[in-house]
Order: sequence, then C-alpha cells, then structure tokens
Amino acid sequence: MSKHVTEWLNAYLDDELRGSRFHHVKAHLAECKVCQAELGALERLSGLLHEIPAPEYTSPERFAAQVNLRLPHQKTAASGKKILEIAWWMIPVGLLGIWIFMSTSFLVSDILSTANSLGLLTSVSDWLAFGSSSNAYWSATLGQIGILSGNSLDWAASTEAFTRTSLPQISLQVSVALLYLSWIAIWWARRRHQEHGQLLES
Amino acid sequence: MVFTANETELVIKAQNGDRNAFSELVHLHAQGVLNVIYRMCGDVQVAEDAAQETFVQAWLHLPSFRSQASLRNWLYRIGVNAATDMLRKQKRILPNALEDLQLKDPQLGPEALFSQGERTALVRKAVLSLPEASRAVLVLREYEGLSYHEIADALDIPIGTVMSRLNYARSLLRSGLEGQLFLKMEAEHV
Repeated sequence: MSKHVTEWLNAYLDDELRGSRFHHVKAHLAECKVCQAELGALERLSGLLHEIPAPEYTSPERFAAQVNLRLPHQKTAASGKKILEIAWWMIPVGLLGIWIFMSTSFLVSDILSTANSLGLLTSVSDWLAFGSSSNAYWSATLGQIGILSGNSLDWAASTEAFTRTSLPQISLQVSVALLYLSWIAIWWARRRHQEHGQLLES
Repeated sequence: MVFTANETELVIKAQNGDRNAFSELVHLHAQGVLNVIYRMCGDVQVAEDAAQETFVQAWLHLPSFRSQASLRNWLYRIGVNAATDMLRKQKRILPNALEDLQLKDPQLGPEALFSQGERTALVRKAVLSLPEASRAVLVLREYEGLSYHEIADALDIPIGTVMSRLNYARSLLRSGLEGQLFLKMEAEHV
C-alpha cells in the first residue's frame, strides 16, 4: 500500500484534485481504511457545518434602500480619479501632438529643400535660396572629388539633403516613441497596483 | 460564477454614477455578502451594518474595479475586511466553543447533548472561534461554495495559502469537536 494521502484529502473532498494526483488519491482510498476514515470524518464535518441555518436578514429591497441612503451624494473619490486619469492620458497625447507637428514641419522642410535643390523652386523667395546654395556646395564638393557628375550631382544633393533632415527626425521619433511607451507602462503598472492593493489596505 | 452581460452593463452604469444600477447590483449580491459576513461574525445586526459598509466602500471604489473581474469575489473581499474591522472596533469576544463543550454534563447522554439545536449552536461557536484568516477561507468554501481559485481571487492570496488555511481550519474544528460531538457522530455512523 502506498503512503497515506491525508494531506490531499481536503482537496479531494472539495473536488479540487485533477489528473494523476486525483487518480492516485482515489486508488489509495480504495484500499486504505485509515484514509477512508479520515475522508469520512471530513465529510461529516462538512455536513455539520451545513446544518447551521442562515438567519433572516432584512429583505434585499429594504437593504438596497438602506445602502442607497448611506451612499455619498458625490463620488468625490471617483471624480478625483477621473481627473488624474485624464491627466495621465493628456500628457502622452500632448507629446504625440508635438511629435506630429514637428514631423510635419520637418517633412515640409525636407520636401521644399529637395525641390529647391532640384531647381524646381528657382522663382521662390530669397530665403529658400540659402538652402539651395548649401546643397549646391555639397554637390559641388562631391563633384570635385570625382564621385558625382552631371545628373548624378543633383541626385546626390537631394539624397544628402534628405539624409541631413531625416536623421534628426528618426532620432526624435524613436525618443518620443520610447518616452510614450514608458509612460504607458508606468500608467498600466500603477493602475494594476491600485486595483489590487487599494481595498486590502483597509 | 458566470459574469452575466446584464451585470457587466450594470457595473459600467454604476461606474458612471448611476445609483439605480448600483442598487440593482446591491440587490443581486446582498444575500451573498450578508451570508459571508454573518458567518464571519455570528451576529445579524453586526453583519447588516458591515454589509452596508461593504457596499458603500464598493460604491466609492467602483471606478477602479475592472469590469472583467468577478464583482462577487471583489465584494466578498471587501465584506471580509469590513467584518474584520467591525469585530475589532466592537472588541467583540467570540465565544469559546471548547469551553462550552466541556461544561456539558456527560451524564445527560448523547440525545440530550446532541439535539439539533445544541449541535448547530456548538458548531457555530466552534467556527467563530477560528482565527479570522482561516475562518474567511472556510466560510467562502463551505457556505458560498467558491473554488480554491475563486477564494484565492477573492482574498488575494495564493492557492497554496487557501489550501493550508482550509486544512488548518478543518483540523482545528475537528480537534475542537471530536472529543464530544464529532466522535459521537462517527460512532453513530460506524
């Protein structure tokens, strides 16, 4: 006969055992008088506990009315939480707005710069000419060292302009994304902590 | 317990401040919460006060309740805490079942000793003499029929702790009752 299974009898009685453990306990009980007696005692104890009747309470309708009278008129705690929650959402949303604005600005600037370097905006105002001369400088430099010539110079100039403006954009986007994700992670962890811990504190 | 769509809707409405929806939730869960608290403290008036406090606390903290979770288990957790607080505030001295048992006159015979009324009174006192933590687990299991997983969820304790507290509660009850009542019962069954 295998070792007694008294430590698992409570779980067996409560139908909480599964799989091999359940089959092991069941098989042991079939042949062990000691464990059978233990299980019988637990069953009788459970029967005794269920003999205790529940008393007559106030009717559910009356009880609900009494509770309703005790409820605070304003859910101050709830409204405070809502304000805090809105603030937690507004900050990352604000950051996203700033990011979208900056990205759009950079994109427009990039398009204008590239178009200018390709000579598409020769008739626009003077402030665009500064970008054009800068790009022309780089194109001329690359051409001087023999890497680029002819139409390739225009291509190189536009590529250079694009890279020069895109790299800061990419860095900014990655930074904002990381910041946003960190914020969401902190908010989520904080919310979970509040849900699990709040009511146990009392 | 199946979390019905209707209850979910009521919870969402109540979270948005709908008192009528909350009253319906109170109506749905009042009996269960009252039972748990009564089994914890053994006094109807204390149980009703603590149950009212439970629902007031639930109303205040409802915005932080996740609608995917079990409202019943959440209310039971608040109820057990409210019962414990209420008992501590009132410094209620729970009766000692063992002393009562020892005062019984063994010459009276098993019929006199173990009439239905007396037997339930003795068992009730024995339950009330259990440590609060073990009593809460026993009440949720025996009287509310919660699974170990649901008890763990309701009391926010590991399942292993549920099992050990339940084993401890039952072994205390058996050792408290077996000298008089319990062994007599066993003898009757053999």
